[in-house]
Amino acid sequence: MIIENKKLEFLIKNQKLTSTPLYSYNNEVCNFLGDLSKKLDDKKINQDFPDVKALSFWCRKANIENLKRKSTSNEIRLGLGIIFHITPSNIPTNFMYSLIFGLLTGNSNIVKVPSKNFKQIDFICKKINELLKKKYKSLNKRICIVRYKDNDELTKSISAQCNARLIWGGDKTINAIRKIDLNPRALELTFSDRYSLCVIDTKNLNNKDECSRLVEKFYNDTFVVDQNACSSPQLILWHGNKNKKIQEKFWILLAELVSKKYSPPETSVIEKYNQLCANIISLKNINSYKIYKNLVYTIALNSLGKDTSKLRGKWGYFYEFNIKNLEELKKTVNTKFQTLSYYGLSKDHMENFFRNSNLEGIDRVVPIGQALDINLLWDGYDLNKILSRIIDIK
Amino acid sequence: MKNINFKNFEPFSLSKKEKSFFFFNEIKKLTKHHYANSKEYKKILNFTNKKNDFKHLDEIPFLPIYLFKEYELMSISKDKVFKTLNSSGTSGQKKSKIFLDSTNAQSQQLVLSKILTNIIGSRRLPMLIVDKNPKNFSKSELSAKSAAINGFSIFGRDHLYLLNEKSEIDYLNLNIFLEKYADKSFLIFGFTSIVFKNLFSDIKLKKIKNNFRNGILMHGGGWKKIENIKVSSFEYKKKLFNKLKLKHIYNYYGLVEQTGSIFIECKYCNYLTTSVFSEIIIRDKYLNVAKNGKKGFIQVMSLLPTSYPGHSILTEDIGEIISKGNCICSKYSTRFKVHGRLPLSEVRGCSDI
Repeated sequence: MIIENKKLEFLIKNQKLTSTPLYSYNNEVCNFLGDLSKKLDDKKINQDFPDVKALSFWCRKANIENLKRKSTSNEIRLGLGIIFHITPSNIPTNFMYSLIFGLLTGNSNIVKVPSKNFKQIDFICKKINELLKKKYKSLNKRICIVRYKDNDELTKSISAQCNARLIWGGDKTINAIRKIDLNPRALELTFSDRYSLCVIDTKNLNNKDECSRLVEKFYNDTFVVDQNACSSPQLILWHGNKNKKIQEKFWILLAELVSKKYSPPETSVIEKYNQLCANIISLKNINSYKIYKNLVYTIALNSLGKDTSKLRGKWGYFYEFNIKNLEELKKTVNTKFQTLSYYGLSKDHMENFFRNSNLEGIDRVVPIGQALDINLLWDGYDLNKILSRIIDIK
Repeated sequence: MKNINFKNFEPFSLSKKEKSFFFFNEIKKLTKHHYANSKEYKKILNFTNKKNDFKHLDEIPFLPIYLFKEYELMSISKDKVFKTLNSSGTSGQKKSKIFLDSTNAQSQQLVLSKILTNIIGSRRLPMLIVDKNPKNFSKSELSAKSAAINGFSIFGRDHLYLLNEKSEIDYLNLNIFLEKYADKSFLIFGFTSIVFKNLFSDIKLKKIKNNFRNGILMHGGGWKKIENIKVSSFEYKKKLFNKLKLKHIYNYYGLVEQTGSIFIECKYCNYLTTSVFSEIIIRDKYLNVAKNGKKGFIQVMSLLPTSYPGHSILTEDIGEIISKGNCICSKYSTRFKVHGRLPLSEVRGCSDI
């Protein structure tokens, strides 16, 4: 592949990417990621950018080895060739996960990062460059990172040369890029805007310490990304017998934690109030609302409708509803639903439900606290398999 | 409801105590009126349980300005709508829609005239408008802008639009205007940033034959555009004085959602002031009343809105109430300062890409 254009800014400049694939979990690639993890573990940067810290932790040697172990089988798997990654504009480190998935599955990668300058991205690319220049020259022809503003010509030229295209973005972005042709055999995978929720059974939450621990985990799933990640819960389903006291305690503890740790932008104050007034006027199934320290807004619903996935908040604006059992999900879940995080129910319980419920949506079911943990199993796809080619020998 | 006869009130005639008594009573009546006549307003008050029994002005409910963009809020039947005002807004943003019946439109005009008369006198003065003739506005240029120009225009006579169709200064006509009127009081009106660009940055002194010594400048519409070049209200005045000898300069703060009851700068202390018809409250990040001298969101109140529930609005502007020092105006007015619009916030996460 040859990439040329004056409007293009190279963060990792390798204009000639190879389409020769590697076998999945190639040693050189795994070592590279382990070394990158060490390089990213920079005290000062980690203080300012917890997302870089999380990335460093994610690609540490132990985790990569763990992934490798899980994926190993007797199958012969090779990369597809060159993957074109188009990454979302407002999560600075997302491009790295996309790149790592491409590398681990044996591919060469051209990654388009957000056009807005993020310090995290510059820092990460600097570290990658250091490794590629010295220890990992052999991987040079497998990584290229570029930045450009919407430019159909460039997207066209790269799309025409790649074997797979991954698009992370909103519906509009995806639809626009989809109009640009790929090679007949090339594959496209889109990670569109999704909706997430959580379910909490209160029976063990009488204990204040237990409740505080849960609140902390819930905080990490939500406020760390302004409640605006696809997998951050928007709706809280209280499972089992209604216990108003505990529900209330949960929100109070959350608001306390938020007031200590979180500093939302000033506009969030106005936006949450806007949304409340708008909800009061137009939301048919609104039952009541409560505001905790003006940081956490909760809107209690009196039914779950078909358009639940439109009920979204930011910066601490949640919808809640009491359900007797998970069966009630069937009324409301559609293809928009991604992550269901849970507490107070067993993994068996969840498995049993999902084996028998034929839901249109929900492809991740994780304990509360792990909603944002990204993995090669994402949006219902096993990227280990999708981004590689199996050779069938009989 | 029975309207206040605005004719009977002068904008700065009541002492603070008298005013607060009068104002609180009237705003309570307005709240009741809108509760009875706007179903959206009623829903919100019912839901938030703020229907009546208000003991203090700050308990009067406030609607966020956003609602006027999202909904068609009115307290009259649709067939009574006499005029619709739209707010300015950059492309892509939704605009406020304000529905006036003829009574409300009249009271806006009356009150605006009362407030302006206080400054420019009741005689109509020759008027220089620092803009293009609204006739020449393109569709994308904002209707709020032309509404403001037209609204203010009736307080002057012999109008000259400073800019031609290409938005350049029309020196020929400017000189004719100045020759005729510059030795006596004349009125200048324009938007804060456009005035600054044309009368300070662009104007060529060599090309004009008179100065602006007798001009009275009224400007409003926000500092946002010139904030980028960091000009304070004080410097703004100083620069215009040094350049054009223009010394009578009044900034006003007003929203299309409360047209008429504008807040105008006091000529002595240079702070914005409330009139008998208006009040402001500053709210902190908890939406509680902020202490005087602390910055917060500006809530504006006006006795004028009768045809739409806009008598108490939470804006997205940041301001502070001035409590330090005394001025003649502090006898009658709440004095305040506007720090500008909230910046658009950056949000993390993957939605809204």
